[in-house]
Amino acid sequence: MKSAVTTVISSADASARFPTLSDIESVKGSFDRAASRLEAAEKLAIHIDRFTSESLDYVYGSQSYDQANKDKCARDINHYLRLINYCLVTGGTGPLDEWGIAGMREVIRAHQLPTAAYIEALTYIRDKVNIPGDMNQQAAAEFKTLLDYLINALA
Amino acid sequence: MLDAFSRAVVTADSKGTPIGTTELASLRQYVADANKRIDATLAITQNVSCIAADAVSGMVCENTGLTQPGGHCYPTRRMAACLRDGEIILRYVSYALLAGDPSVLDDRCINGLKETYLALGVPLANAIRAIEIMKIATVAIMTETNTGRKMFEGINSGSGADCKDIASEAASYFDRVISALS
Repeated sequence: MKSAVTTVISSADASARFPTLSDIESVKGSFDRAASRLEAAEKLAIHIDRFTSESLDYVYGSQSYDQANKDKCARDINHYLRLINYCLVTGGTGPLDEWGIAGMREVIRAHQLPTAAYIEALTYIRDKVNIPGDMNQQAAAEFKTLLDYLINALA
Repeated sequence: MLDAFSRAVVTADSKGTPIGTTELASLRQYVADANKRIDATLAITQNVSCIAADAVSGMVCENTGLTQPGGHCYPTRRMAACLRDGEIILRYVSYALLAGDPSVLDDRCINGLKETYLALGVPLANAIRAIEIMKIATVAIMTETNTGRKMFEGINSGSGADCKDIASEAASYFDRVISALS
């Protein structure tokens, strides 16, 4: 699993050297940013169900729809948000890349899933994050960066 | 390879739940202790050859037969291999300490180590003794309880006593290697 720390260690190990001062500086840099990441992860974990249901209500609107479809879509959005929660914790895009994005195109194509609905839901969540009601400014910035990353991967 | 953060992720993913306030508490502690952890890592990296060489010398002093003809550290080529291995183990301990998780040590150092040593005819009891001495020396340098001068310059000055918890974590990584060889 890639994170700021494991990336540094992997490259140190590849050249069989002890962590140098610059390695340690780069690890320290990731720790300095960790507070807002962890804050975002915590708030996302608290609000994950509300974010999911609100965005789904928005996407499905008042038109008639198949409840089973909506439930599956909610499950997927919840899954993506959980992976974003993990990314916020690791400080890298590893969990999204490895568990969310790898193979995603193939699955979506095979099942003919409408990615537009996912994108719409995720965009809604991104635009409706309440600052500071849901999370503070820096935390929201970290959260939105990852939402954008996922939206770009889906698009 | 995992660190403290990705370890939490892998654990949470197996339950399919997001990482919440409870799990985040220990990660926040890890971040809060980051400076101590960095100093403890520096305590190793600034004294690598000293720790490894002292440990191997100590091992030989306790078993002088090792450097005699027929001993396992004779000729110098084999002694050099011994010093090299000491440094390698120390390097993986420093990685694990920085990551706050033993997976890098397990995957890249411990896995297969005992089998390799058995195949090469390395006496395990002596190897374990050298690792024990490295553990004692590392903890002493980290906590500044070594005799003589202070042996490392951390980012935070005068942090020796503060490194106590991290030093016991480092000791647990050495113990991991020892129990794998036992």
